[in-house]
Amino acid sequence: MSQTPQTFAPVESSDPMVVPKRVAMVRPDTRPTIRRREEKWVMTFPHLIIREVIMFMLVVIGLAVVALLFNAPLEGLANPLETPNPSKAPWYFLGLQELLHYFPPVVAGVVIPGLVVVALVVIPYARINLVAGPLWSGDRKRLTTGITAVTGVLVILFSTFQCWAIVVPSLIVAAAMFLARSEGSGGSFRRFLALVTLPEWVMTWFVLVAAILTIIGTFFRGPGWSLVWPWNMYPPA
Amino acid sequence: MSSLTLSTLTAWVRNSAVYRSIIRHGVADTNRNRSLVIFENLFLHVHPVKVREKTLKFTHTFWLGGITMVATFVLFATGILLMFYYHPSVPQAYRDMKELMFVVDNGVFYRNMHRWAAHLMVLGAMLHMLRVFYHRAYRPPRQFNWVVGVVLLLITLLLSYTGYLLPWDQLAFWGVSVGTNMAKEAPLIGKPLRFLLLGGNIVSENALLRFYVLHCVVLPAVLMLFISVHIWRIRKDGGVQGPPEKDPGEEVEP
Amino acid sequence: MLDETADNLSELTSGEESRRQFLTKLGLGACAVTGLGAALTVADFLEPKVLFEPPTSFRAGTIADFPEGTVRFNQEQKVYIVGGAAGIFAMSAVCTHLGCITRPMSGEPGIACPCHGSKFDLEGNVTHGPAPHPLPWLEVKADAAGNLTVDTSVVIPHGKALKA
Repeated sequence: MSQTPQTFAPVESSDPMVVPKRVAMVRPDTRPTIRRREEKWVMTFPHLIIREVIMFMLVVIGLAVVALLFNAPLEGLANPLETPNPSKAPWYFLGLQELLHYFPPVVAGVVIPGLVVVALVVIPYARINLVAGPLWSGDRKRLTTGITAVTGVLVILFSTFQCWAIVVPSLIVAAAMFLARSEGSGGSFRRFLALVTLPEWVMTWFVLVAAILTIIGTFFRGPGWSLVWPWNMYPPA
Repeated sequence: MSSLTLSTLTAWVRNSAVYRSIIRHGVADTNRNRSLVIFENLFLHVHPVKVREKTLKFTHTFWLGGITMVATFVLFATGILLMFYYHPSVPQAYRDMKELMFVVDNGVFYRNMHRWAAHLMVLGAMLHMLRVFYHRAYRPPRQFNWVVGVVLLLITLLLSYTGYLLPWDQLAFWGVSVGTNMAKEAPLIGKPLRFLLLGGNIVSENALLRFYVLHCVVLPAVLMLFISVHIWRIRKDGGVQGPPEKDPGEEVEP
Repeated sequence: MLDETADNLSELTSGEESRRQFLTKLGLGACAVTGLGAALTVADFLEPKVLFEPPTSFRAGTIADFPEGTVRFNQEQKVYIVGGAAGIFAMSAVCTHLGCITRPMSGEPGIACPCHGSKFDLEGNVTHGPAPHPLPWLEVKADAAGNLTVDTSVVIPHGKALKA
């Protein structure tokens, strides 16, 4: 082996016979790890693991502090003969309990929650959720009539039950949708609104309604499920 | 022989036969050993060896799924502790609450922690779901994992709800009475379902025992099963998905 | 359908194929029957056979205790016993909405539910939402001495009061 080692020099060429190119065959059903542009990758240990440990510690410390400061509620021994007044479910069901005030139990207790679960499950399978662009990029005339019609039906439907907690957010969301119509003009908030897609509008409406119902049920319902201020919830007996 | 310092002690432990039988790789100072840290560890190997750098940013996921997961760990730990003092019978269940609060050392603390972690888990799961929706991270190939997530949210609510009855106080009794009467309204299956769930026509001792078994055994087991699928699928679907790319041309291919 | 990658599988004749399909179906059917049987026995196991719930019929005083205009709330049995214009009747105190225990309103005649704000008049009719039905009337019987017995498991139509 007396040969001198060959020196290597980088070769630049567009000929694939000289410089091999990486080719990826991507079928629609393949795994999604292939991207058009290479990204920067880092080692999971330590970069991700250390962040997970810190997050774990912060959450546990936060919970411990809250547990030290606030006591979990405990009322008197359960008495099947005496309904406390008001009688409330845990907070995440108070939106539902608030609905029960307006609608027959089969609607508020079975139909509406059932529809919500079905709607959540079908989200990734509905085409509209996969391809939707900004709301007003579609047929503007049809959208105008569509939004007006749907809002009108919702407002009339819920007004007959006097369920203003749904009517008002519906009107607000519809107004915001029309505010987004004048794209390109206005401040940064209006330009942001113009980019919102139809599924996002619907979800925002749902979250707004759920949040308002839950807040009313939690803070503004007193004895006999009557409307009260939060500081009057438990009147002196 | 060198004097005893922390580093010599560490080195001695690391070189011992017992330690090397448990952890085969050396100090994680090279990328090879850092890879081995991940894939030679049962608990860490749900992670890939490398992750995309931008997924580490806080705003990528807001860590909401992780926070929910930590709340779940806390709930398992504190829940097991509470079980040592709890009898699912009437009225002993309520007396046990009083015992936890006034007799058992740190009883109040662990009960509080369990309660607040439960609220955090429900809230975290909801916010995580909203984050995924607004980041449009439910799109293919993550459709199925979204559905698993919806199931996890329902299990979380059921866990929280079954746990709500266990203190057997007024709040618990009437919250569950109202909720199970709601189930009664479901056509056909509502009434038999409620009868089976409560083990009777009214919320009674049978209901307490049934909710206890559901809360401490059945639902946690189902939860772990679905969490395993959920986390495994995150990796199989190409890692956590943050906000959509600004330029659609750089999106994931399929 | 056969897996194409399976080794050493000679071509099947048509008879063999249908036999194989039949056996597959038989096997799957056996699994299904076993699963169904297990599910049914578990469901049957979970259904309580003995209930320790309060008895459904109880003594409620005598006819003379309920002159016209009296409303007695029997809290233990969750029943109102009312001496009405047409006679004595018993009425469930369990709200028809979601099963909370209603209470006579203070100040005005009527019954209110603390949970979701339903209100009823003294005959059990709904005067204010969300309760879907009136409070059911329950069977009241009187023996020769005028002792009343209420049976909470028997619902009678409204208006069938016990004539004093």
